[in-house]
Amino acid sequence: MTAIGENDSVRAVNWERGTPITTPPRSLAELFLGFLSIGARSFGGVLPAAHYVMVERRHWLTPADFTETIGLCQALPGPNVGNAAIVLGKRWFGLSGAIVAFLGLFALPYLWVLALALVYTHWAARPLVSAVVTGVGASAAGLLVATAVKLGRPMARKPAGVALMAGCFVAVAIGRMPLPVVMPIALSVGIALSRGGLL
Amino acid sequence: MILIELGTYFARLSLLTFGGLSAVVPDMQRYIVDVKGWTSATDFMRLFAVAQAAPGPNVLITSLIGYRVAGVAGSLVALFALCVPPAALTWVVSALWERFRDSPWRGAIQRALAPLVVGLTFAAGYVIATPHAPDWRLWLIALATAAVMLRTRVNPLWLLAGGAVLGGLLI
Repeated sequence: MTAIGENDSVRAVNWERGTPITTPPRSLAELFLGFLSIGARSFGGVLPAAHYVMVERRHWLTPADFTETIGLCQALPGPNVGNAAIVLGKRWFGLSGAIVAFLGLFALPYLWVLALALVYTHWAARPLVSAVVTGVGASAAGLLVATAVKLGRPMARKPAGVALMAGCFVAVAIGRMPLPVVMPIALSVGIALSRGGLL
Repeated sequence: MILIELGTYFARLSLLTFGGLSAVVPDMQRYIVDVKGWTSATDFMRLFAVAQAAPGPNVLITSLIGYRVAGVAGSLVALFALCVPPAALTWVVSALWERFRDSPWRGAIQRALAPLVVGLTFAAGYVIATPHAPDWRLWLIALATAAVMLRTRVNPLWLLAGGAVLGGLLI
């Protein structure tokens, strides 16, 4: 225990001096436990938990490396931190690393959500329970709206961006058109606008 | 066979989940509720609520839907179908990404995706808060949550707890 503690304090000192010394996981077990703790801490958001565990606590990555990796994962489809588990697991241990990191990330949240679903199903018939859960659902919808507002602010000054955004909203929310139809059309329009300097 | 239908649908959808899961929530609701009738719009909203109250990546909503439709097997099929195709894509692209750092196409695609993701995330908020005809109580809770979220830095879990209280009082 002492050795680990000393090791940690050395890391911390180096960190504060601004020399980012990283200590990537040395074993698959360490990788698994790291991602397991990201999953366990991710109440209310996975990204802050991933940053805390991988950058601040375990020093697996420098802050710049973390940002770059998440940037790649956000540009691709799929859950951001799930994709990061693939990229980082692959970087450190190849295919087995990717699989282990991914399973570590999802293991606890999966069990938790299933347990919640069982509890909810058991109590769903009670009017108060269904009212409370409906309220949480409306609140979760509000979180989505707030996220959209935050993401949308930078493009509010670009009429083409606003039009494309509104078009997607109307087609999907009001017109109920399938996403596999809407997405390719909207993306083509977006790329054309973007190449034309309008986005 | 319902597991195959579930897996095929989520695998196809998975490649459209740009910017995370929010963008595909409206299509999930359309398919699960309107096309297949596996559950009601209100139930879909409540499953979404349960998923939000749990820790972890928000793609876990798929395992809840899978569970509702086909039990534990359904929950695993839905989750893996949503995660494995993007993971395979990420595996391949992570090697190429650096090479295209300065390509004008990379910037153009990222700028084109941004308004799509914003529009679809608004759509997700709208379809979740409007399971049937517009209901002022649901919209009030949603807009109040959004306003607080935008003005403060409070943990979203407290906002969901606020939604629970308002739901208990109003609905």
